[in-house]
Amino acid sequence: MTEHIDQTAPHDAGEHHDDGHHDVNYAKIYVALLVLLVISILGPELGITWVTLITAFGIALVKATMVINNFMHLKWEKNFIKWALVVSLLFVALFFFGVAPDVMKHDGLRWVNDAAIASVERGIEPPHGEEGEHAAEDGEGEDHAEEGDDTTVEGEGEGATETVAAAFSAPDAYSATCATCHGPNGGGDGPGAAALDPQPASFATTEFWDEVTRESMVNVIQNGGAAEGLSAAMPAWGALYSDDEIQQIVDYVETFQP
Amino acid sequence: MQKPIATTRSASGIPTGRLAIWWLLASEIVIFGGLLACYLLFRLGHPEWADAAAVTNTAIGATNTFVLLTSSFTAVLAHQAAERGDGKKAARFLVFTIIGACLFLGIKSYEWWYEISHGYTITSNGFWSFYYTAAGLHAAHVIAGAIAMGFVAKDAAQGKELQRVELVGIYWHFVDVVWIFLFPLLYIAK
Repeated sequence: MTEHIDQTAPHDAGEHHDDGHHDVNYAKIYVALLVLLVISILGPELGITWVTLITAFGIALVKATMVINNFMHLKWEKNFIKWALVVSLLFVALFFFGVAPDVMKHDGLRWVNDAAIASVERGIEPPHGEEGEHAAEDGEGEDHAEEGDDTTVEGEGEGATETVAAAFSAPDAYSATCATCHGPNGGGDGPGAAALDPQPASFATTEFWDEVTRESMVNVIQNGGAAEGLSAAMPAWGALYSDDEIQQIVDYVETFQP
Repeated sequence: MQKPIATTRSASGIPTGRLAIWWLLASEIVIFGGLLACYLLFRLGHPEWADAAAVTNTAIGATNTFVLLTSSFTAVLAHQAAERGDGKKAARFLVFTIIGACLFLGIKSYEWWYEISHGYTITSNGFWSFYYTAAGLHAAHVIAGAIAMGFVAKDAAQGKELQRVELVGIYWHFVDVVWIFLFPLLYIAK
C-alpha cells in the first residue's frame, strides 16, 4: 500500500512538502472559521452600513483566504499556480470594470438608459396575490407595505396583470420615462436635455401646443419622434405602455400647458 | 499495474493531477467570477434590489454556510489521513463530507421550495434570476463534488489512488469558498 502511494503521489514523500505534511492545526482553523461566521451574521444586525460591509464582505475575504491557504494548501504550492489563479481573477476584474460604466450608470453625456431608470423607479414588487402578502409578512417588512399603499389601489389579489394595470399612474410614468429629458415640470430641461440636439420639447410653451394635436402626441409617444418627422432621440414607448396608459400620460402632459 | 502516463509524470514539479485541478479551478474562477461580477454590477446600479434581497432567509443561508465549512473540515481531515496512508480513515471522512453535501442540498431544496411556492421564481425579476442562477450553478458543483467523492472514497477505502483524496478535497474547498462569497452577497447585504 505504501509503495503504491509513493508511486502515484511523489509529492507526498517529497520536495514540495518540505515542512512535513503541512503541520496545520485543522481543528483550530475550523473553529476560527465558525467564529468568523457568527460575527458575519451578527455584525449586519446592527444596521450600520460600514459595519455590514466589513463584517459581511471583509470577513468573507478572511474566511476564503483561510480556507485557500490552510485547507487547499495554496501557500505551499508553486508560484505559477498562484499566478494562474491571479490571472483568472484579473480577467474577471477586467470584465467588471469594462462593463461597469454601462450597467451601473444610468445616464451619461449623450445617453440615458430609460429602462434601467424606470426599473429603479418602479422598485421590486413582491409577488402578487395571497402568497405575496404572506411572504411580505414573513420578512421584508414595511418598505413593501408602503409601496403597496400607493400602487395597488384597486383590483387587489386579482392576479398579476390587473394589479400591474391598477398600479399605473401617469405622473409616476412621466417621472420615470419622460422627465429625464422633458424635465420634471415639462420645461424641456431634464438632466438628459443638455446633450440633445434638437432640444427636447418644452410643454410649458404656447408654441408647442400650437403645433401639436392629441393624435400626434400619442403617435410620438407610441412610435418615437421620427414617426412625426421629429427628433429620433425621442424613443418609442409603445412596447412599455398600453394605448390607454399613453392617453393618461397625454392627459398628464396637458397639465403643463401654460 | 499499468499507470496512465499523466498520472506518473510531472514536468512542472507538481503532480499532474493536482496541476489539472488547479487549472480547472482557474477556469471556475472565471465562470463564478463572471456571474458574481454581473450580480455586483446590477446590485450596485439597482438599489431597489435590496428589497428583494431582504426576502432571502439569512438563517437558512447561515446554516448552509456552517454545513459547508464543516464538510470542508472533514475533507481536509480525509486528506490528512490519506497523507498518512490510512485509506480507510480517509474514506470515512470523505463519506462525512458527502453527507455534508447531501445536507446542504436538502436544506437548499427546502429553501427553494419555500420561495418558489411563495411566488419568488427565476422569472420574477433580475435579483431572483441571479439568485437562482448563482445558487443553482453552485448546487450543481456540490452535486458533482459529492459524486466524485463517492468514487474516490470507494478506492481509498481499499487503499488505492490515495492522492485523489487531496485532489477532490481541493475542488471541494473551492466550492466552499464560492459559497463563502455567495452567502453575504445573497443573504446578508440588504
